[in-house]
Amino acid sequence: MNGLRTEARVAMAIARKDAVAELRGRHATVSTLFFAAVVLLLFGFALGPDARRLAEAAPGLLWLAIVFAGILAVNRLHLLETDDAALEQLALYPVARRAIYAGKALGGFAVMLVLGVVVLGAVGILFAVDIASAWLPLLSTVILGAMGIAAVGTFYAGVTVRMRAREVMLPLLVLPVLAPLLLGAVRATAAALAGDPFGELGAWLQLLVAFDLIMLMAGAATYGFLLED
Amino acid sequence: MPQTTIYVSPRSFGRPDARPPAVETTELARLFAGSAALAGVTLRVEGGRSVALLGPNGAGKTTLLRVLATILRSSYGSARVDGLDVVRDADLVRERVAYLSHATGLYDDLTARENLHFAAALLGTEEPAARVERALLDVGLGERADDRVRGFSAGMRRRLALGRILLGRASVVLLDEPYAALDRDGMGLVDRLLAAWKEVGVTVIVASHATDRLTGLLDGTVTLDRGLVTAVSGAGVTSVAPTLGGTRAPAPEAIR
Repeated sequence: MNGLRTEARVAMAIARKDAVAELRGRHATVSTLFFAAVVLLLFGFALGPDARRLAEAAPGLLWLAIVFAGILAVNRLHLLETDDAALEQLALYPVARRAIYAGKALGGFAVMLVLGVVVLGAVGILFAVDIASAWLPLLSTVILGAMGIAAVGTFYAGVTVRMRAREVMLPLLVLPVLAPLLLGAVRATAAALAGDPFGELGAWLQLLVAFDLIMLMAGAATYGFLLED
Repeated sequence: MPQTTIYVSPRSFGRPDARPPAVETTELARLFAGSAALAGVTLRVEGGRSVALLGPNGAGKTTLLRVLATILRSSYGSARVDGLDVVRDADLVRERVAYLSHATGLYDDLTARENLHFAAALLGTEEPAARVERALLDVGLGERADDRVRGFSAGMRRRLALGRILLGRASVVLLDEPYAALDRDGMGLVDRLLAAWKEVGVTVIVASHATDRLTGLLDGTVTLDRGLVTAVSGAGVTSVAPTLGGTRAPAPEAIR
């Protein structure tokens, strides 16, 4: 119990450090929010002015924007650790490796959550979708989706952080793994916006919960190997 | 800069005769792309001693320190810190070792104080607020504590990295070129740190080219060349190496 408390304290310290650095530098949020906005606008232009068509495509566009921008955000958070070999120093601390992973994933989750909520609001405005009447299931979907992207993205950002072509490699590695999450999040969002006529929302949310748990456990168990030279 | 007495937290090492060697390596080798940075180092440093690692560039000094700090794995041989294997017991070794590398591992967007608070949280420092303030004063950064590290000079970053070591309770301190980038005051700070660690029984291994400066501050020296120990001198340090007439260690060519 004491060990778990220590690990939670370490994870919180890492997440807090990332949050402070992000608030000061705005390395992740500004660029990724702008990127998400551009993605939404371009998809909107590509689909044309038909309001019904835009509303039908909204769940898919929402999650494509969140996933693309989220990968950028998680990568940016990991780049903090490349300044002056900070990742090496992080590996030198006498703390559990899974606590380091948890801290980085928690920091990524916080950024992803802000990103998800803002993008959701933007989709509501741009595509004339009524998000207010289904805010609770939509928020639940965004929380679970953000957690899954942070869990996977943190692990693979650790894989690619020492690579020269990391900006290219990270999406290539992450996107296939995120396919189940993308499917579940899009279907859950579509069900929530439609008022869940077929009672499928719960099943898609369960899929997201299972995905998050599996990815968090796998990441926590293996992240330590990435810190070794 | 005011010359404070540096606060180093007390350690308990038990009976001196029961203390294992602080560092013990056996035929330690590390290859990089087939080339041996360490080519069979057998070394023993007694607890509480201060030892200089000398040698030209590429001799293997940094590689040896990085293996002892658990950052690098050895290719062959073994290394123990305080009797603990650096690979098998890496988690426990990290509780006992502090390492100052060429890079400082600081976060540019955090202030000096925030960087040390972060380190204190991960090191599990008791009374962190007081210890952080004391460490900032001890390394001469009290007046710059709320400045972001991004604006710090290389010497100031080095001071802050030394302050981070003061927050832990390491029994073995590994310093890689600690005088690099420091001004005269900063070099004096390193000298005083070496004295403070020695006083409380902390083992210190310093890789440095500043041989003149270290004379009189340390107990012994180990000279490396092309990954092999070529000489040892002083108290508390012994080695077995081909050039010293002991057990034959593999030559670089032999382990390529």
